[in-house]
Amino acid sequence: MFPDLSSLANVFPLGGIDIAFYVVAFVMVATAICTVAVKNILQSAVFLIFSFVGTTVLYLLLHAEFNALAQIMVYIGGVVIFVIFTILLTSHLGEDAFSTKIPRYFAAFIISIAFVAIMVKCLLPAQGLVTTAATAPEGFASLKALSVRLLGYGADGFILPFEIVSILLLATLIGAITIARRGKEEK
Amino acid sequence: MFVPSVTNPIGDFVREWVPKLAEYLPAAIQSDTLNSVVAFLVNAVICVIAVCLVNIGSAPILIYMERKVCAHVQCRMGPMRLGWHGTIQTIADVLKMLFKEVYAPGGVDKFVYFLAPLIVLIAPFMVAALIPFGENLLVANIDMGIPLIIAINGFGVLGILLGGWSSNNKYSLLGALRSGAQMISYEISFALVLLFVVMISGSTNLMAITQTQSGTIFDWTIFRVPVLGIIAFVLFFISSTAEMNRAPFDIAEAEQELTGGYHTEYNGTPFAMFYLAEYIALVTNSSLAVTCFLGGFHAPCLGIAAVDGVLTMIPGVVWFFAKVFFMIWAYMMVRWTFVRPRVDQLMSFEWKFLLPLNLLMLVAGAAYVALVG
Repeated sequence: MFPDLSSLANVFPLGGIDIAFYVVAFVMVATAICTVAVKNILQSAVFLIFSFVGTTVLYLLLHAEFNALAQIMVYIGGVVIFVIFTILLTSHLGEDAFSTKIPRYFAAFIISIAFVAIMVKCLLPAQGLVTTAATAPEGFASLKALSVRLLGYGADGFILPFEIVSILLLATLIGAITIARRGKEEK
Repeated sequence: MFVPSVTNPIGDFVREWVPKLAEYLPAAIQSDTLNSVVAFLVNAVICVIAVCLVNIGSAPILIYMERKVCAHVQCRMGPMRLGWHGTIQTIADVLKMLFKEVYAPGGVDKFVYFLAPLIVLIAPFMVAALIPFGENLLVANIDMGIPLIIAINGFGVLGILLGGWSSNNKYSLLGALRSGAQMISYEISFALVLLFVVMISGSTNLMAITQTQSGTIFDWTIFRVPVLGIIAFVLFFISSTAEMNRAPFDIAEAEQELTGGYHTEYNGTPFAMFYLAEYIALVTNSSLAVTCFLGGFHAPCLGIAAVDGVLTMIPGVVWFFAKVFFMIWAYMMVRWTFVRPRVDQLMSFEWKFLLPLNLLMLVAGAAYVALVG
């Protein structure tokens, strides 16, 4: 009458994380298919967001919190919003969606099948792929550990590249402000 | 079998009691796995209820407060007829809005049209889960507090853009584009001010940020760093007002030009959700200001033993909400006092004044941390 929870533990050895992975993976694949299958280009942007959210949850399941947040900040907060802005400003959304001819569908089908076959052939020989957080030391990808490794002064630290990149970004930002200011003065 | 758990004193209490209650069940279904799963689910439900209670419960109070503050600024009385001083007015309005028929105008993209209000609500609800309302009253005590807040604020822009476009109305689209541009710009200032707070307090965990401000009123971030703290607080106030699309930065709605902006076509429950998101954002942003600058749930001690003894007897939650409502009152007074700037004035204010000032603030903060500690 009641489901035996101990047999569930055999199917999903990692418990909640395993179940969550399959749910998230299914949602990601479904939304990714919707992204390319939906006729309306703005709707496909919306499905793309869901797919990115799925990737974020996958990172969280692997205890890589900073990667997850970077995924949200860069892809959802940055890339997708600019994609949507571009769609809103340029495309003719009210018009009928274009449709492709049968031969093109056929060619696309063949190419994607061939691609998947090659991918599977390359991945199959790999044995014992480890994709869980359990193998990493505790807090390996937390903000503190990550920044200690990134900003270390020692031989394995990256303090110098980090500083150079940050100066470059600061210069870009100041350059953008300067250009915006000059445009106003010339008027 | 691994089961996630909610680490919290209240969570510990539930974990302690679930096995005791489970002993009354038939022996065949008793197991540790079941106990931990049930304890986790009970804790999760408690967390969800807590967040919903703070968010949805405060919205009617804030709407009533907004009407009264607005009325008194304009030398009116505000709602007076239903209940004592019009207290039931908001509840009547909420009921009216919920019982309206939900329909979409012709020619809209229904999927996106009904999805947009849901997306707008994501950010305020998630931020509310991160805020420490009291010593033990915290749903998610995570190390990534501030980065998470910065990251999920992007969802608000997304909801507004999608809602404005899917309404199939040029006013809505114009309002959405304006508001999207505004929120993206002011998000940068918002994030930079929060980074300043992180730099001063040395942590991105909101609980740890609150703990560093314990002690007297002069340990609060706003007063601890001389002058810089107050400037940062003012910058936070400005950028969060713009981030919430509240007047004087409400060009998204701008009722005189755009008849209501991105939610022109919405009615009934979907409109109520946009409205709710706006007021929850008011609560969460005020809470964030209190947590980051005004000492969170700590009492405003003055360093005089007799006074401090009395002040610390009041629980932290009361202090927290007193400070939050002071901040909300400040946001409301600003809304009904200042005039709305033009679109280009708004954008140039952000990019040519706030952003350079924020960068300077970060450098000055770094200098303070390096020299004074």
